Amino acid sequence: MIETMIYVHIPFCDSKCLYCNFVSGIYSEEIKQQYFLKLNKEIEYNANKKYIVTSIYIGGGTPSSIDSKYVVELINNIFTCFTIKDDVEITIEANPCSLTREKLHDYKNCKINRLSIGVQSLDNNCLKKIGRKHTRQKALKAINLARQCGFNNINADVLIGIPNQTYHKLKSTIKTLLKKVSHISAYMLINEPNTPLTRMIANNEVKVVDEDKCVSFYDKIVKYLNKKHFTRYEVSNFAKNDMICKHNMGYWQCKNYLGFGVSSHSYFLGERYYNTSNILEYIHSEFNYEKHKLTNSEKIEEYLMLGLRTKYGVNIEKLRSLGFDILTAKKTELDMLASNDFIQILDGAIIVNNDKFGVLNQIILKLLPN
Amino acid sequence: MTEKLKNIRNFCIIAHIDHGKSTLADRLIEKTGTVSSREMSDRILDSMDLERERGITIKLTPTRMFYTLNGEEYILNLIDTPGHVDFTYEVSRSLAACEGAILIVDASQGVEAQTIANTYLAIDNNLEILPVINKIDLPSADVEKCRKEIEDVLGIYAEDCPAISAKDGINIDEVLKQIVEKIPAPRGEIEAPLKALIFDSLYDNFKGAICFVRIFDGKVKVGDKIKMMKVDKTYEVTEVGVFTPKMQPKEILCCGDVGYICASIKNLSDTKVGDTITNADNPTKEPLPGYKDVQPVVFSGIFPVDGAKYQDLKDALEKLKLNDASLKFSPETSVALGFGFRCGFLGLLHMEIITERLEREFGLDIITTAPSVSYNVYKTNGEMVEVSNPSMLPPPAEIERIEEPMIKLDVYTPPNYVGAVMELCQDKRGEFVDMQYLEKTRVVLKYHMPLAEMIYDFFDSLKSRTKGYASLDYEVYGFAPSELVRLDIMLNGEPCDALSMIIHKDKAYARGRQIAEKLKIIIPRQLFEVPIQACIGGKIIARETVSAMRKDVLAKCYGGDISRKRKLLEKQKAGKKRMRQFGSVELPAETFISILKTDDND
Repeated sequence: MIETMIYVHIPFCDSKCLYCNFVSGIYSEEIKQQYFLKLNKEIEYNANKKYIVTSIYIGGGTPSSIDSKYVVELINNIFTCFTIKDDVEITIEANPCSLTREKLHDYKNCKINRLSIGVQSLDNNCLKKIGRKHTRQKALKAINLARQCGFNNINADVLIGIPNQTYHKLKSTIKTLLKKVSHISAYMLINEPNTPLTRMIANNEVKVVDEDKCVSFYDKIVKYLNKKHFTRYEVSNFAKNDMICKHNMGYWQCKNYLGFGVSSHSYFLGERYYNTSNILEYIHSEFNYEKHKLTNSEKIEEYLMLGLRTKYGVNIEKLRSLGFDILTAKKTELDMLASNDFIQILDGAIIVNNDKFGVLNQIILKLLPN
Repeated sequence: MTEKLKNIRNFCIIAHIDHGKSTLADRLIEKTGTVSSREMSDRILDSMDLERERGITIKLTPTRMFYTLNGEEYILNLIDTPGHVDFTYEVSRSLAACEGAILIVDASQGVEAQTIANTYLAIDNNLEILPVINKIDLPSADVEKCRKEIEDVLGIYAEDCPAISAKDGINIDEVLKQIVEKIPAPRGEIEAPLKALIFDSLYDNFKGAICFVRIFDGKVKVGDKIKMMKVDKTYEVTEVGVFTPKMQPKEILCCGDVGYICASIKNLSDTKVGDTITNADNPTKEPLPGYKDVQPVVFSGIFPVDGAKYQDLKDALEKLKLNDASLKFSPETSVALGFGFRCGFLGLLHMEIITERLEREFGLDIITTAPSVSYNVYKTNGEMVEVSNPSMLPPPAEIERIEEPMIKLDVYTPPNYVGAVMELCQDKRGEFVDMQYLEKTRVVLKYHMPLAEMIYDFFDSLKSRTKGYASLDYEVYGFAPSELVRLDIMLNGEPCDALSMIIHKDKAYARGRQIAEKLKIIIPRQLFEVPIQACIGGKIIARETVSAMRKDVLAKCYGGDISRKRKLLEKQKAGKKRMRQFGSVELPAETFISILKTDDND
């Protein structure tokens, strides 16, 4: 028996946000039908009762924007094709505009037990700047509705660095949210190439919050959330009372995951592969996974790269079992980083200190094998 | 046999850079049908990529042509020469192998600095000089004025000199005719013991070191035992041949010939350019005069970016030295850069060419430190040491005085830029010596100036202040005492030896500030704050700080898309490979040379 997580990508949205460069868009009902037909085929194609599913994550796009019958069918199909662990965590991403009481009931009935809501901000002006269609009222209403329908494991996505955002606005968003949700993902807005927002910035139509300011917002938010018993367990993820997202955590611990749907990635038994990013190509072509077997040194690199993002850090013994004796090979670097309070070595793990996550990549680079 | 000598002409082409030497060489080759038109490419003798790209000739390239005049067939041996001031040495090498020289003068620009310098070199070598006025196709060409300049400035009879366009192939026949008529045939005794001058050499992976030779007396063939007179080594000849311009084996080379000799010579240093080859069984008594050893004037440290490539760098330098005797190098160790070499060059262009060849022909990633000159340091204990590496300068208390190399500088410029040139020379600690009008439109300004000022962006400044009209020539004439200090740069409190420089005390403050500011821009933010300090003898004169990095990229990792994160990591990893670790500070490879370049606001 092999434990695995499952990711399903739903590339449909009702509108496209100005900063988004994920594989998603607005499509006709006909395309949606074809897509789900294919998606279910892919699930069946990979069916294996020897695989025990520990978590399912339905992401997008906006999975809540589609008719919930598709979601129900999809989940049922996964239950048929794989063995499902008793305490399975099943998350669906939603936006405040498309969540209805009916959909929430359907989700609940098919064993979805976690919601991730794209709130981004509770400031109407900020929401407008990034092209979100909902308002503060709508977002809060959606969260309340979810709670009424029996969801108690709810995440809210929050963006740091929205044009015109002040720390005050950001903190007020967080302050309101943390009373209503159990998990907060706080991401820094990245100006991806070829998004309308990036073009607007280039044309001086909107002003970005400068990098140093973003970092200071982030640092303050980390402290604030800590005080409110939201622990940061990964760079951008905060959980109350250890209601950590198992699926999310699995990524940082290099666990197996199968990805289904357009542009989804898989990492299974040391092999990495991914689907096409073109939805029509996905619908019309055969499954053809180009698998890349990770070399040992790639495994070491990825474990360092991902593990150091979490509050558990990387396990020295595990690195050694991969053939990397980090204490000897990186003695100078570790001494230097530890004596300057960038990291600490605790219970056989190397852990990045709370206030040094901003330069995480630099720390990782110092610790990679030569 | 004398019959044969009578029909050989050995000549080279000399000119100021860009006056059309390689183009004329191409035309001569084409006209004599030496290379079929299929094989003909532009600038056929410039075989290095670098030469073709930059449009300059660096190496000597011999070729053999056949030309028939009045029913007699002549062998014309051409040795192409470089034109830039840095390569005067190479020019003198080819001159020693010839009896005559074609002197090209650009019809629109007239006699230039290098025209004069190379002409004197040719006259010193007793060469017959054949002036040719080129580029008559240009609208600004003034053939008569050019003729007059050749006669007035160079004192060479130019009444019947051919006016040509090498580019358009006009009057090339006249040049060939005059080569035969005016350049003397070589002299030499075929029966005398072999006497051959090595004027260049090349390393071939199959044949070993190949000597490019001019035979002055005697003959040489396969199987002969030959002896390199200076290095005192004996070899058996495996192949002799001529240049067509590809190497073509022949049975025998006789006096008057220009060709090559292979003798399974493994050791590069055995084929010393300027050495005389003779027959081991029947040696000549007197070797040829050879060349005087040239002294490098510009020094710089060269280090591999990847420390493990030290041996590769050493091999590459040795190979380059084989046919560039002017390149000097010795091992050097730097705290910041590890193991490398201190190299001596003939000038800045020479240095640039060598570093580019190391990168291109040998695929090496190298770090070059800012160039320096060699100082004579007189110590209080009476001892004198030569210092070309600033970090080797003895402590101030032990120094009695320092003398720096001085140059005689000639700047040729149109009169309206005299003010600008004088200002520049003064600024560069130049001492005015003389000013002469060569003619109404050209002035030569003579200065005595420290060489160190010359290597620090003088040429670029001169060109920009005179809109490119001025040209220059210089020669090192001796040493003069000067008030020099060492300017050190400290990073994170540690002096970085590879960034130290010796500089005049009046300029040290300004340069210190300038370098500190420049480094602040070049050094990327790191995990720690990096203080940059410029100091003289422990006294800090400038300080800048690279503030600590607060954030790199906190990308969202979505749907298990690890590959995106990986890409970022790979990119950062590659960037790190090009960094040098100095203490806890990471420095980009270009840090060390960039401090030399001035900003526009300078």
